[in-house]
Amino acid sequence: MATESPSSVRKVVVHLRATGGAPILKQSKFKIPGTDKFAKVIDFLRRQLHSDSLFVYVNSAFSPNPDESVNDLYSNFGFDGKLVVNYAFSMAWG
Amino acid sequence: MEILFAPPMDSVKDGKLSVEGFSVAARAFADKWKRHNQSLPPWSWVPLIDRTLLVPNKEEGYLSLEKIILSSLEERPCSEEDESLDVKIDCSEDLESIDHAILVQNVENEAHYYDFHVVYSASYGVPVLYFRGYCSGGQPLTLDVIKEDLPSCSVSLLLESKWTFITQEEHPYLNRPWFKLHPCGTEEWIKLLSQSSSGAACQMPVELYLVSWFSVVGQVVGLRIPLEMLNLRTSAIQLQEQAMFSVTGKKQT
Repeated sequence: MATESPSSVRKVVVHLRATGGAPILKQSKFKIPGTDKFAKVIDFLRRQLHSDSLFVYVNSAFSPNPDESVNDLYSNFGFDGKLVVNYAFSMAWG
Repeated sequence: MEILFAPPMDSVKDGKLSVEGFSVAARAFADKWKRHNQSLPPWSWVPLIDRTLLVPNKEEGYLSLEKIILSSLEERPCSEEDESLDVKIDCSEDLESIDHAILVQNVENEAHYYDFHVVYSASYGVPVLYFRGYCSGGQPLTLDVIKEDLPSCSVSLLLESKWTFITQEEHPYLNRPWFKLHPCGTEEWIKLLSQSSSGAACQMPVELYLVSWFSVVGQVVGLRIPLEMLNLRTSAIQLQEQAMFSVTGKKQT
């Protein structure tokens, strides 16, 4: 609500969902500033899973550009107060 | 009342498309692009000529987006910086005497144009992106030069997988060397994209195939899809409206 401190930017709850046999994270939901780029989410997943061959997608329909802001993704594809991000081990190329 | 329901759309089940499906998906993609992406020229559908009858083949063809300057799509530094750069160039000109009679000059700053074609691969059953780059004079760009226009993630991927990412091959219809994005992984990630998060209740309609596909492929070459184009909620409504209009339109005439 309006109780957030003025200095803080709006945070978005990101729910990371494993698909296609990828390991489930211990903590699957976390809050990140909406002004962050989606690249942050991808980097976080890569570090957690120690893998570069990750395929990250939203809404079971598309793979967001890393430059897209989390806020924009949330306002277009957020549901139930969170942005669901799916990930699987898959190489798009090669 | 049944007439008001949208006609059942084919859905993508195994990550592959048929030739007919590609043609449907390509037109739907081009339509959406035109509606939501007015900063770039529209994609056009190039029908193949049936060589035996010499008439355009209705179903077969490819999508084409040509003469795109990739660097202009990326965020440019603010104008002040640009000006300061210009000043530097001016200074250097004073210091070194440049022979203006030299024909090849300033090649580095010349605009690079790109043509993109989305071609259906019958052997993989998926769309494939072909592209080529050239200077304003028409000289083709080598992959080394093209690299400088590509997003950094593509450049690092090129180092890792040299032969399975972007390679130069013959354009299937133009028979000239074009660069091609390898389609071997496409089926797999389209399968991931087409599976509904809530089970098998909803699958990707064929009309949305190329939009999803391009969200991945466009990233490689730095072409971005507007989020509104990807928003399934608005798309589904639009598709339904289109179907309704076409039905009601027919009823009235």
